Amino acid sequence: MAEVEIKAVSKAFGKTQALSDLSLTIGDGEFVALLGPTGAGKTTALRLIAGLEQPDSGSIRIDGRDVTGDAPADRDVAFVFQQYSLYPHLTVFENMAFALRAPTRRMPEADIRAKVQEVARLLHIETKLDNKATQLSGGQMQRVAIGRALVRSPSIYLMDEPLSSLDAKLRGELRLELKRIQVDLGATILYVTHDQTEAMTMASRIGVIEGGRLMQIGTPREIYENPINAHVAARLGQPTINLLPAALFAGAPVGVETIGARTEHLTIARGGGDISATVKRVEHLGDQSHLHLDLAGRPVVTLADPEAGFGAGDVVSLRLNRPLFFDAKGWRVAA
Amino acid sequence: MNELSASSRITYRAVMVRPGVARRIRGLSDRTLAWLFITPTIVLLLAINIFPLLWTIYLSFTNYRANRANVPTIWLGADWYQSILTDPDIWAAMQVTAHFVIWTVVIETVLGFGLAYLIDKKFRGHGMWTTIILLPMMLSPAVVGNFWTFLYQPQIGLFNYVVAFFTGRAASSFQMLGDVTLSPWAIVIVDAWMWTPYVMLICLAGLRSIPDYIYEAAEVDRASKWRQFWSITLPMALPFIMLAVLFRGIENFKMFDMVNLLTGGGPGSTTEVASITLKRAAFESWRTGYSSAFAIILFVTVFGLANIYVKALNKVKSR
Repeated sequence: MAEVEIKAVSKAFGKTQALSDLSLTIGDGEFVALLGPTGAGKTTALRLIAGLEQPDSGSIRIDGRDVTGDAPADRDVAFVFQQYSLYPHLTVFENMAFALRAPTRRMPEADIRAKVQEVARLLHIETKLDNKATQLSGGQMQRVAIGRALVRSPSIYLMDEPLSSLDAKLRGELRLELKRIQVDLGATILYVTHDQTEAMTMASRIGVIEGGRLMQIGTPREIYENPINAHVAARLGQPTINLLPAALFAGAPVGVETIGARTEHLTIARGGGDISATVKRVEHLGDQSHLHLDLAGRPVVTLADPEAGFGAGDVVSLRLNRPLFFDAKGWRVAA
Repeated sequence: MNELSASSRITYRAVMVRPGVARRIRGLSDRTLAWLFITPTIVLLLAINIFPLLWTIYLSFTNYRANRANVPTIWLGADWYQSILTDPDIWAAMQVTAHFVIWTVVIETVLGFGLAYLIDKKFRGHGMWTTIILLPMMLSPAVVGNFWTFLYQPQIGLFNYVVAFFTGRAASSFQMLGDVTLSPWAIVIVDAWMWTPYVMLICLAGLRSIPDYIYEAAEVDRASKWRQFWSITLPMALPFIMLAVLFRGIENFKMFDMVNLLTGGGPGSTTEVASITLKRAAFESWRTGYSSAFAIILFVTVFGLANIYVKALNKVKSR
């Protein structure tokens, strides 16, 4: 394991600027998640670190060594691809042993066997070792793909949305397992995802990336509580933050154009609040309800206690409780 | 859950409605309709494939001659089969065929795969090169046979000239089509020239079906190019290569047109592949019964070999 340092890296594909001036340091043993929508440049960042793409400018250092011009094989990284990328004609064992059989390693067969079995146990696929890679379910394939990275002890594990093609239940399970394994091994991981839950639950730090730029990086808590702009604020939190014109409310600080209100910033009452809104629809989720409101013609979504007994057509009163303020360009304004 | 059952209910209804409508409009059941659609095909298949085959089998047990239709037909049993299988000339023809099939398939596969591997590298102008390479395949075998006869011409032929240029031997000192040792290779060269592109095309399809990220994974896993070729490229393209071998093998086992035009089986019978022997027996000697028996033997041979091969192919594919 080692520290990975990316300095002012830019990359364009033709006329599309995939990444602009990305600087990021991933500490030894750290789990960093890059969070952003499709096409934000997350995968490009991973591929640049792996050496599958060459940056137009900037440098990449792994463990203090400049690897910017090196081939993938010389960088000592492991990559988990979104599409599993297993060798379909090989068994699970052979797939996992593939990297260990590289001639430069000269690893004895007994050691390879022991290592693969150890990792297979960790991922609960030890009974599948003799199966063909194509005979597995999606979840098992992804475990093998992760296992193929884990058998090595690279400087950094690069993971490109490894759980995105799995169903919700399996994703939840593997999320926990992956975090457990990372802690056990003390692994350095750069994890790319568009799923805020994955980023929030696993990462020690989250980098929010949008349009090829790293907008903010910090602990999940920092990013959630102190987003630097409306983009970052909209990335995290469920339901998504409500961005409302400041003019609707009295008492916003000077220069504030938009007020960002998450569920915890809104107190709902039958009356006596700052502003009234009409209930359009109630979605019952079991332990809580999604309340869809109409606030002066703008949709507002918040959570409510199912016991509160709101129904469509009810008029409720909202009170803001230390919301987030943004200026005309979407940047955060201190309260 | 609700959404799912609702959508499946809709499909169910849509399926159930159709036969009812058909019955009301035409008074036809689905089954009748299905038969109505496939009957023309079945009739055609019976008329031009199955019936001739059965008729050939029948003729192969008789003394029937197509040029003497009024001679009474006598049932001979398996006589023709016995005489064919013990005839050294037939075995010679089979050997010529085997030589032709094996060498063309080997050369075409090696060259075809090699070319496909190069083209797959997507160098500058690879599209144009693909087209150029594919040209021979698009020609008619009759044309190819005719102009290779010219190319092989000892005095004015380009082939002889080129060989002479590189080896220093006199161009007219050898005759590709007239020499007993050279002519079996002359037909192999022409077939390889014409059909290597076909094998290349199939191999190219195989190579293109291997996703890039598999190579990227191997790259990160520190596999050398050499190892990537042996552990990814070749095994994953193998079903395609085997398919190309199957097609070329069957095709060349029954090769007739090109060889007939180039050498007509000569000199002597050095290039007399089985289908030429068959054509001579059937349409020069008019021994219809005899040639029917020979045709059946060839058919069974190809069919048997192809079946064994397809089993092997399926095994490779399911790996």
